[in-house]
Amino acid sequence: MTAHRSEVTGRSAPVGTIAATQIWKRFRADPTRQSLRAKAGHVKRLAQGKGRRGWRWALRDVDFVVEPGESVGLVGINGSGKSTLLKILARVMYPYAGRFDVSGRVGALIEVRAGIHPELTGRENIHLYGTLLGLPRREVASRFDEIVEFAQLEEAIDRQVKFYSSGMQMRLGFGVAAFLEPHVLLVDEVLAVGDTAFQQRCIDRMRTMLTAGTTLVFVSHDLAAVEGISERVVWLHDGHVAGDGPARDVLSSYRGALEQVAAIAPTSGGPVQVVKAQVIAPGGGAVRTQERVEVVLALRASQQAAGRVCLGFSEGPASPIFLLRRDMHLSDDEITARCDIERLPLPRGRYYLWLGVFQARGELLPWQPVASFDVIGPDLDAGPAGIARLSPVHVAAHWDVGRT
Amino acid sequence: MVPVRRQGLAGGGDVVADSGVAMAGARAPAADGPPPELVFHRVLHPLQMLRELWARRELVTVLTERDLRARYKQTKVGFAWALLTPFLLMVVFTVFFKRVADVRTGSVPYPLFSYVGLLAWTFFSGALSKGAVSITQNLTLLNKVYCPREVFPLASVSTAAVDSSIAVSILGVLFVIYRFPPAATSVWVPVLMLVQLAFTLGVTLLLAALVVYFRDIRQVLPMILQFGLFATPVGYGLEEMPRKWWGVYSALNPLVPVIDGYRRTVLLGEPPKIDLLVIGATSSVILLVVGYTVFKRLEAGFADVA
Repeated sequence: MTAHRSEVTGRSAPVGTIAATQIWKRFRADPTRQSLRAKAGHVKRLAQGKGRRGWRWALRDVDFVVEPGESVGLVGINGSGKSTLLKILARVMYPYAGRFDVSGRVGALIEVRAGIHPELTGRENIHLYGTLLGLPRREVASRFDEIVEFAQLEEAIDRQVKFYSSGMQMRLGFGVAAFLEPHVLLVDEVLAVGDTAFQQRCIDRMRTMLTAGTTLVFVSHDLAAVEGISERVVWLHDGHVAGDGPARDVLSSYRGALEQVAAIAPTSGGPVQVVKAQVIAPGGGAVRTQERVEVVLALRASQQAAGRVCLGFSEGPASPIFLLRRDMHLSDDEITARCDIERLPLPRGRYYLWLGVFQARGELLPWQPVASFDVIGPDLDAGPAGIARLSPVHVAAHWDVGRT
Repeated sequence: MVPVRRQGLAGGGDVVADSGVAMAGARAPAADGPPPELVFHRVLHPLQMLRELWARRELVTVLTERDLRARYKQTKVGFAWALLTPFLLMVVFTVFFKRVADVRTGSVPYPLFSYVGLLAWTFFSGALSKGAVSITQNLTLLNKVYCPREVFPLASVSTAAVDSSIAVSILGVLFVIYRFPPAATSVWVPVLMLVQLAFTLGVTLLLAALVVYFRDIRQVLPMILQFGLFATPVGYGLEEMPRKWWGVYSALNPLVPVIDGYRRTVLLGEPPKIDLLVIGATSSVILLVVGYTVFKRLEAGFADVA
């Protein structure tokens, strides 16, 4: 099969193409009217000519065109329309307006328990899901072992799925969706459930599928994972496309916007106030990988106190990449502290500076991001890009290679 | 298709977004909605609908299997439920209708008489009670993967058909016990079954779609089915009704000529009442067409209300 005749437009396109243009989708503003009584009340109000039901636009004029074999990351804050768009692409939902065409078999993994029936065993679920995707039974059977092996469910495959852990369900769901060779794979924020090793296996599997020509649309709030797997990113904001282009560029504007939304404002009212928190290059100019960097702090306490000041560096709201600590005496006079980092081990990207002041019995300043900064440095895209982008620190090292 | 507008793609790396919360972007969409010519109209071709359904027929089998397996695992008695429902109803009917109401059955033993009616009725009510909620119960599945949605009510009907064929075995036992072999006119049975199937499918499709929008129907349905059991000549014969109403009765409830037909052909050795059967068949087919059309029209919105 090389081309597919669309049910929607009656046109042919190469298998794996997503062509959605000018997509609009709206929902009821109050989707609770499902009882007859409420509907009757609504009809009555309409008849009296007052109170029209409101609509809320979930997608507004969205263009989303993906070539076969392309990998596109879809980012945006909660409620920006990512899942709605995926549902439309999966042909589960119909748009209000627009033209769309997805050719080929769509393997959707819109939630963790995608299409899993709890009363059936893992084996029966694999067969059911395969048939749902439109695969003949013998084809499902021929891929059965691969799925079981990937999902590491050899022991549990004849157990009812309701007795699976959520990680096992997720593995089964991903295995089924990824091994039944869809032409288009839609993945919606599902990797969060699996353990790190399995997440890596999923990402590896997605890369293999991409090489084989599968089109991938990947929704995640884990921007590093998006960056690792998609060369192109589409950023949805409030139902429309706010950015569409190479992953790194769109993600950096997205991060920039996120920051403004979650404006970094240190909490006040506690015993310790942050007057200043900055990450600068001592000679002025940009902060660079493997060069000298200074963290400048100014703190004031409401009373005399001794505490341990902790500085953390992170990418987004994640766990810190590394931590710096120093015990200090604080008073109601402003105290300035400079922390000199000789060689900054962070690769190119946008980072957050976290700050907290702790005592043996509780905290003087809660752990929070207080500043953000950009690091300019050698591009890590060289080499195995997928792995390089995922590694969080840049370590300067000296190689010595020769015959032994 | 509309020419595709792509922004900041292939080369250059110029991104459309400006970092700012307002993010107006290159083109700010109109807040009030799309131009009317863009509004998406789903085109439904009956032939295409049926062809797609036929292509996915295996799905109906698999879903039926799933329903049966799931039930087999959840309950202790498993498939015996398929026998128990009509059998117990027959016992109850034999006690009440026969003893209390003294229904006329001619030469036919009452248990046999009522069981034939009950078989047809349990198929209908089983298909309907499962089929009406088939969409709402499978919403998690429906929200993930595309498939022609009618496979779910169809699978409910086919599950009910499996149950009924199991329950037919009791009929065989009754034939032996009462030494009352089926008549040669039983060749009519497939025709009657077709009418019954058309009616059942029509009602099931219609309700399955409506229940998504009006959840109350789920609560009312058992009551309606209870009422239907007595409004249909299951425990009694058509003769108990005034003859002048037979036509209207058959049009409103196609199960009337069907059940009456089963009794005439299998038990009494007579042909079915053709005039009534034609009326019932016509209204069944109309209902099937209406039911399927309504289902396909409402189908597009299932994911929105879910």
